[in-house]
Amino acid sequence: MPLIEIISLNKIYDKTKVPVHALKDINLTIEKGEFVAIVGPSGSGKTTLLNMIGGLDSPTNGKVLINGINISKIKSDELIDFRLKNIGFVFQSFNLIPVLTAKENVEFIMLLQGVTKSEREKRTIELLNAVGLGDKIDSRPYELSGGQQQRVAVARAIASHPSFVLADEPTANLDSTSAEGLLDIMKELNQKLGMTFIFATHDNKVIRRVRRVITLEDGKIKSDVFQN
Amino acid sequence: MLIKLAWKNIWRNKKRSIIIILAAFFGIWGGVLTNGIFVGMWETTIEAAISRELSHIQIHHVKFRDERLITQFISEINTIEKILQSNPYIQNYSVRSILEGIALSPSSVNGVKIFAIDPNKEKLITSIHQKVIEGVYFSNKGYEILIGQKLAQKLKLKLNSKVVLSFQGMDNNLISTAFRVIGIFKTESKIFDETNVFIKHNDLQSILGTNIPIHEIAIRVSSTDLIDTTTKILKSELNNLSVQSWKELAPELSLTSGFLYLELNIFMGIILFALLFGISNTMMMSVFERIREFGVLIAIGMKKIKLFLLIIIESLILLFSGGLTGTLSGFLTIELLSRKGIDLSIFEEGMAAYGMSAILYPTLPFNMYISLFIMMLVTSIIASISPAIKAIRLKPAEAIRTYL
Repeated sequence: MPLIEIISLNKIYDKTKVPVHALKDINLTIEKGEFVAIVGPSGSGKTTLLNMIGGLDSPTNGKVLINGINISKIKSDELIDFRLKNIGFVFQSFNLIPVLTAKENVEFIMLLQGVTKSEREKRTIELLNAVGLGDKIDSRPYELSGGQQQRVAVARAIASHPSFVLADEPTANLDSTSAEGLLDIMKELNQKLGMTFIFATHDNKVIRRVRRVITLEDGKIKSDVFQN
Repeated sequence: MLIKLAWKNIWRNKKRSIIIILAAFFGIWGGVLTNGIFVGMWETTIEAAISRELSHIQIHHVKFRDERLITQFISEINTIEKILQSNPYIQNYSVRSILEGIALSPSSVNGVKIFAIDPNKEKLITSIHQKVIEGVYFSNKGYEILIGQKLAQKLKLKLNSKVVLSFQGMDNNLISTAFRVIGIFKTESKIFDETNVFIKHNDLQSILGTNIPIHEIAIRVSSTDLIDTTTKILKSELNNLSVQSWKELAPELSLTSGFLYLELNIFMGIILFALLFGISNTMMMSVFERIREFGVLIAIGMKKIKLFLLIIIESLILLFSGGLTGTLSGFLTIELLSRKGIDLSIFEEGMAAYGMSAILYPTLPFNMYISLFIMMLVTSIIASISPAIKAIRLKPAEAIRTYL
């Protein structure tokens, strides 16, 4: 069974009474352990597709199956719980909780999951060390650089042991060095832990590093290419 | 987790939070203190009325309070005294003869209520002995009278002056007897001082030549909490007499007291109503500023009920930080002021006309603090409901892309 299976997915926004067909009949399968980028120009539907996969938005018609479960049929509150257990998120603007330290930001998602204190602390330290921020555990987001914040966001995304991580333009607000460093970490997590990463991006640095590139244009899949 | 996060969120915008906390502090402090002064004023007035004349419970002939005839006395007084002595709640009692009469001096005349008392027993019931400002509270000599300052002024009487009391005897004939002023008292009530005089039982007995008629038994119980219970017991034991607590004897005092608590709760409600808008506005601004963050929290798996609770807790922290410290400060201010009292003697004339003491002892009963706590709780929750609903209705995909 594929990790993610998208069948005949359509999304039509009815903004200001002028319908916008954001996704058109998307069919896609992503297996566990993939390192994949969804690319395309602005307005091509990358983020919309990512939102559909992440259960943040519902399709107009079609299905999104995660581990065989049709998430568009799950009720709102149960979907939140489903995301908590199955999906990690990394956002373009980092979106850490500004009043919490790096450690607390990573711990937060495990608190929501009800992980015990000792396990939380162990996992948090391990993850922050893994992303190279072992010495910044008590720093608040405003005390960290953009690259460091995004690394905390990656640690937060995988702290809940999700089935896969969705990363929407994760390198867009980073300089080249930070972006490369971040991608190194993600690649390592993918290779060592088999963690599935799905990027929505138009950053060539990301595109060069992934094994599979799905190109969207006007809401349709234009190409789906595996690369070495 | 939620409390810790809520606490940290409160201090994101320190200036805004401090302003609302200070508003809550001063609003609640002022409200508690004002309530304490009003309750103190009224409690002092009631206590003064109880100490001056009413006592906790009074027993009369069933018609005496309406007709006030000398012949409407309490019969079988010895049996009744045995009943009173056997009641464990009764601390002390005093038997009184009450005669309606007039007081004459060489210069004027005034209608008075004449209390014939046992001075030693009366000391245990009322505070007249403490209110004597000139002379003494009776001596061993005969035909002594204690009069109020206002009456002394009106009849132009001084210590040792003679005053003639005229009243109806048991045989309906008019009796006139001269008394010498042994003491002049001044209570909180000008009206009382003008219309009440005290003589001794022995003298009345000599005048009437018979056993003295007892018209009133004034009772003090060991605790004010026992007044209603004791009244109920005595009513059942003495069903051929009129047994009334001070609340029945002075319903205007009791009724006003009840209304006062209602008014003070409304007063606190108005303060909190004003605070409600401030807190609600602060919370709404705070939610608008964090739309993206809430979107992220919902996206990563924070259930909406937890988000709802988070905002309610933030609102509770805002109001209770100021409200509880304001309540505590109000309590301490009341405690401090109640030790020495607030001296309002510059308004003494006006206050005495209403039987109010010129020294106020602020006090606030515990149940007022409880009702204030509940009102603050309700205010916090109401203030946060609209912002909380706004937050939980956010669609994460849209909220995450909101930039303020």
